[in-house]
Amino acid sequence: MAKALEGYWNDLRDTKVWRSVFRSGSGSSTLHRSLAVQQNVFLHLASVKMRRRSLAFSVTWYLGTLTFATFLILTVSGILLMLYYHPSVPQAYADMKDLQFVVSAGVFLRNLHRWSAHAMVFLVFAHMFKVFYRGAYRPPREFNWVIGVILLLVTLFLSYTGYLLPWDQLAFWAITVGSNIMSAVPIMGAKLRFLMLGGNTVNANALLRFYVLHCVILPLTAVLFIGIHFWRIRKDGGLYSSKSDAGQGETTEAAING
Amino acid sequence: MKEEETQGQNETGQTRDDVTRRDSFVKLGLGSVAVACCGAAVFGYEFLSPNVLYEASPIANLGKPDRFPPDSVTSDPVAEVYIVHAAEGLYALSAICTHLGCITAWKPDLGIIACPCHGSKFNRLGTRIDGPAPRPLPRLKVWVSDEGDLLVDRSTISTPDQFVRT
Amino acid sequence: MDELKPFRATVGSDSRKEPLRVAFVTRRTSPHIKADDDLYVMTWPEGIFRVLVACESLALVLVTLSLFWDAPLEGLADPIQTPNPAKAPWYFLGLQELLHYFPPMVAGVLIPTLVVMALIVIPYFNVNIQAEGLWVRDRSKRLRIFAAVLLALVVLLLAFQVYAVLVPTVLIGAVMLFAARLSSHPGRFHRWLFLRPLSFWIMTWFLVAASLLTAIGTFFRGPGWSWVWPWSE
Repeated sequence: MAKALEGYWNDLRDTKVWRSVFRSGSGSSTLHRSLAVQQNVFLHLASVKMRRRSLAFSVTWYLGTLTFATFLILTVSGILLMLYYHPSVPQAYADMKDLQFVVSAGVFLRNLHRWSAHAMVFLVFAHMFKVFYRGAYRPPREFNWVIGVILLLVTLFLSYTGYLLPWDQLAFWAITVGSNIMSAVPIMGAKLRFLMLGGNTVNANALLRFYVLHCVILPLTAVLFIGIHFWRIRKDGGLYSSKSDAGQGETTEAAING
Repeated sequence: MKEEETQGQNETGQTRDDVTRRDSFVKLGLGSVAVACCGAAVFGYEFLSPNVLYEASPIANLGKPDRFPPDSVTSDPVAEVYIVHAAEGLYALSAICTHLGCITAWKPDLGIIACPCHGSKFNRLGTRIDGPAPRPLPRLKVWVSDEGDLLVDRSTISTPDQFVRT
Repeated sequence: MDELKPFRATVGSDSRKEPLRVAFVTRRTSPHIKADDDLYVMTWPEGIFRVLVACESLALVLVTLSLFWDAPLEGLADPIQTPNPAKAPWYFLGLQELLHYFPPMVAGVLIPTLVVMALIVIPYFNVNIQAEGLWVRDRSKRLRIFAAVLLALVVLLLAFQVYAVLVPTVLIGAVMLFAARLSSHPGRFHRWLFLRPLSFWIMTWFLVAASLLTAIGTFFRGPGWSWVWPWSE
């Protein structure tokens, strides 16, 4: 049965219509597998071949991949949540109640967005520490590390702006505390706070600004820098893995001595 | 998976009809993905259709029935209906033109309902007299509530033989 | 041609020691590079499938979490009524705990700025590219410097009563001393610690201190930012 399905699947991939879209046709030869990556607009940022060493779990713990995956989950759940959220005071809070009690699957989506956000912040820190501890920041990968630090700041800022949107006590006062810390910056602190909040206190202007930051400006910035981050991996010679990483059949002695 | 009797075996000891573990897992995997997709589609549709609307209720209260003198056509601009007091009783016509949705107006001196957008004209029965409108103005369900008020449900169409007797 | 800066050309093949290299092709050699003996696999399907499995596992965990645990939603925002304590999101709680010890200018601006700058600068320090262990060479001299720095840090932290950072400092210092200890039959862990470079120790200190500060801010601080034991509620 599965063989018949596979037969139909392969036949589909050989039709004129399919080939006009995907061009590489069916097949599991090395050529076809290369084309599957190289001819794909989303995948061709990756190389056609990878070092087997870098695919072992112990090398990266797949933390970078997982961070990106949480980002995608957040984008999709976020867009869906936007359909029921009005960024005005006090409608925002009423919308949160709506999502919780009235909207079908609203409570699930909100939970998913919240827990994925916490997960992403945690994973981005873990990714940073893992990259550091395995030395993958060293030349020629210095600039990619800096891009990573920028992405860390963008992630934190995304989480911070999103935190205000429910407009409950937790949100309001967490952001008030944060904006007061911001005003401690010398010389321009008060001005910076005024610009960020669109006023002197956390009010309707602040909510709208944070909403635009959270849903438009910061996600676009993140996508831009993620693109550069992945591009740099290619340009720096692929994922870093030292000779002591698992998968090449070396003895553990060699692994200890690095 | 049901066991097949071995026919001619190939090098790995499998016959062409044997179901391999790989096949079972592929089927299981694809099946789960299909179920998940269906589930996601259903949940997605349910999520996207709001259960609560921030709109006025389709049921409007038009006041006491004796507000409407016999042989009159009264226009209620808020509810967007005409209340007609005919010989058989009261009925309600939708004021929304059936052409492209503009709000029509009752012209008492001409005795017709006219649409300002493209010139459609209707009589007090809702029948089209002139203009590009494809259908007559629909009659809407009316009834008297327990408190004695005339109510109209603008989302329900009624038949021409239904009246509220006065 | 512009004047070249004076440089010293070395011939070496160790990329850790000399990360930026120029290939000198002398007369009796060919420009062939040594063949890359790494094992390569196709991105599709090996690489992509592994990525999909990782993402799917994550999705499973997050969806399960979302089905059973609700995100918090407190009462409507009230500018007049400040909850006590007013806590920032968990990833800023370490910072908020630090605010307890230092003025806002230091804890809120100076330290985060210095941390971010330090992070950015890490890969540009061309110090110890080989990641040589801290205690491998000049052991006694380094031990003396280490003792001085540790003492200075401890005194500074005690002066400001920043116990939350003092504890990790003392702990990491103790582990570093253990790593530096000479023994005739070092265990595998001891040997591994011995080989860790200074950058490892600094980052680990930062990681432990930041984690402890965040943990305290999350669990051990109650009304008025006073100390509470989380199990005594």
